[in-house]
Amino acid sequence: MSRTTVASEYSAEIQSTPIEHRFNPYSDNGGTVLGIAGKDFAVLAGDTRHVTGYNINSRYEPRVFDVGDNIVMTANGFAADGKALIDRFKNQIKWYKFNNGGKKLEMQSAARYIQQLLYGKRFFPYYVSTLIAGLDEEGRGAVYSYDPVGSYEREQCRAGGAAASLIMPFLDNQVNFKNQFIPGTDGKEKRPFEYLSLQEVIELVKDAFNSAAERHIHVGDGLEILIVTKDGVRTEYSPLKRD
Amino acid sequence: MPGLNFDNYQRNQYLASKGFSQAKATSTGTTIVGCKFQNGVVIAADTRATAGDIVADKNCEKLHRLAPRIWCAGAGTAADTEMVTQLIASNLELHSLYENRKPRVITAMTLLKQHLFKYQGHLGAYLIVAGTDPTGAHLTSVQAHGSTDVGEYLSLGSGSLAAMAVLETNWKPDMTREEAMQLCSDAILLGIWNDLGSGSNVDLCVMEIGKDANLYRNYMTPNVRIAKERSYKFARGTTAVLQTSVRDLLDVEETVIPFGQKDSDAMEIEA
Amino acid sequence: MEHNPFKWGRPDDAVYGAYNHQIAEAGVNSLFPKMNTQNPIITGTSVIGIKYKDGVILAADNMGSYGSLMRFSNVERLLTIGENTVVGVSGDISDAQQLARYLDSLELQENVYDNDGENQLKAVNVHEYLTKLLYHRRSQMNPLWNALIVGGFDEAGEPFMKSVDLLGVSFSSSTLATGFGAHLAVPLLRQVIPEDKKYVDVTEEQARKVIEDCMRVLFYRDARSMDKYSMVTIKKGQELKFEKDLVVKDQNWRFAQNIRGYGNAQQ
Repeated sequence: MSRTTVASEYSAEIQSTPIEHRFNPYSDNGGTVLGIAGKDFAVLAGDTRHVTGYNINSRYEPRVFDVGDNIVMTANGFAADGKALIDRFKNQIKWYKFNNGGKKLEMQSAARYIQQLLYGKRFFPYYVSTLIAGLDEEGRGAVYSYDPVGSYEREQCRAGGAAASLIMPFLDNQVNFKNQFIPGTDGKEKRPFEYLSLQEVIELVKDAFNSAAERHIHVGDGLEILIVTKDGVRTEYSPLKRD
Repeated sequence: MPGLNFDNYQRNQYLASKGFSQAKATSTGTTIVGCKFQNGVVIAADTRATAGDIVADKNCEKLHRLAPRIWCAGAGTAADTEMVTQLIASNLELHSLYENRKPRVITAMTLLKQHLFKYQGHLGAYLIVAGTDPTGAHLTSVQAHGSTDVGEYLSLGSGSLAAMAVLETNWKPDMTREEAMQLCSDAILLGIWNDLGSGSNVDLCVMEIGKDANLYRNYMTPNVRIAKERSYKFARGTTAVLQTSVRDLLDVEETVIPFGQKDSDAMEIEA
Repeated sequence: MEHNPFKWGRPDDAVYGAYNHQIAEAGVNSLFPKMNTQNPIITGTSVIGIKYKDGVILAADNMGSYGSLMRFSNVERLLTIGENTVVGVSGDISDAQQLARYLDSLELQENVYDNDGENQLKAVNVHEYLTKLLYHRRSQMNPLWNALIVGGFDEAGEPFMKSVDLLGVSFSSSTLATGFGAHLAVPLLRQVIPEDKKYVDVTEEQARKVIEDCMRVLFYRDARSMDKYSMVTIKKGQELKFEKDLVVKDQNWRFAQNIRGYGNAQQ
């Protein structure tokens, strides 16, 4: 049976616009996360806004978690996948202890295990950007970051989630001193890397999130910073703009 | 022929099919409201403009003047609300000059709806038109496709539901000017806090019968940014100088030489 | 005219051929691929909830919509589980009834295997169970088409309210609403509790009033809602208060008396 249509330019427009017929198992719940490694500490921060579309679901829904063994973790993006991933990892830490006489799971082992969890769903991925932070075997701050299917890297700092593209260049410049030269060397000598103090890092994190909240609609309400030192995990909360 | 130009329509469709996406227009996500009171009408708007998830403008103006006593709040595509409003403001002025009468709200609304209907919704302008004229105070809304609506209280934009919630619970007939201002600003505030497309400040405009319209730009500013924790001043020399090029300033002198006249004559015009 | 009423409204065999009964057994013993829920059929609209200093209040209307048809007006969408946990369900009603069945058997299991009188099933546990269930179903691409709000108490006996939807996305707040309520009711609820933790300053009367205001606004503005609803008050140290057949109070349609037309003439 043929369909008669009045010829018009707009008919092409209608046909080229895809109409969704299938159930879409993913959504985006906004929020942004940020991890920075220091000399003998590491921080993982995230805002506490939970969204769908133009709605704020909750102004306080924690997205960074203490998963035990002095490791903090976040999986930002599609919240249900994030929760599933973190729950699975927490569970595995528990089993690791049962099987190994309560042994601590080291950062690099944790990092590799999370790769396995993510890659295990290679063809139905967890739609999240994952970050973990803690201390390595020498007691230095460590941050590991992942793509949705498990490619990972240890880094000095990393931003993830909605406003990652706003925060990351700021971090490159302020943490790794990219594009900065030593004054008087006429651009011959790059400003060398040096560790920031915990105080400086926290200030940087707050400024990054306040700025992201100004310009990204999915960021705001509250900022929760989890700080890992040899003495354990500590949490700091500060409010962000709520509009 | 005046109006929009569709010459590039086919080219754009072709480019889109090759994966070149269309330019993204700035949209005014927006909460806008209007409410009548005993002796006039109030309209109000938030001041956030967005381009996708990014805030494009933190303090834009969504209250437009159509005539001295007729104002309009716009939601939708920023450029469309701006241009359609300017066009109708001009036509309204010409019409009022020709007829030698004060412009009326119903005229503004009719010009808007006829213009928007002609463009079949392709102009993304959603407006609340309000004002006072010789027939009294009026409040109407116009949708992009050209349909109109009149009401005692109206709201439009992505935050219209949040705003409508407060309008529906707190509205009452025959409010005073102050009560109406309070209601409208409350409605906008609910949009600002609860709708991600709306934010920053509240703009408000009061039009009272027999008086000049009052625009309260930034009537409320509940979203002032707090001070930064750190200073981001760079030491001089942090940025490498890759190339230097110094030019001398040129002095351009201009001398006017009178032509075909005696130099004394030129000055006599004034005398 | 077809004289067999059984065939009324069915595809005519003369036109479409005989019905292939394999379709009904899709995915079991047939060549037809199994098809999962693609969209909801009979639906319930918003569920709204608020925490207050002594507990939680949930409300949902009694309508079951079939598209734009008001098909049922006696649907109970607030399900009680155990002593003081209530689940408010919106979305597909058949899936909601399936959920009710799961929850019934969960409660039964609790009572049979854990009847020491202590460690009763709490709202947190019910929520965790539902979150896992809904996430599991979405991962099979066979979702239960619902958005739920679970109200009750947490392990410490403090007021608890958390929601979960068909994707398994869950979040908690002192003010929650599904569907249209997320747009219309939440802003009003947040006027009473601007800060999440401040629910402890809210009295039962305040909470009840704002819920009634929300149900009125929803009835005004949600075209898939009705003015008959149920409300549950879950209060510390008290038996659960379940009120049925409440009617939206203080409706006011007086604004209409001054409105003439749509701005088409000087009326």
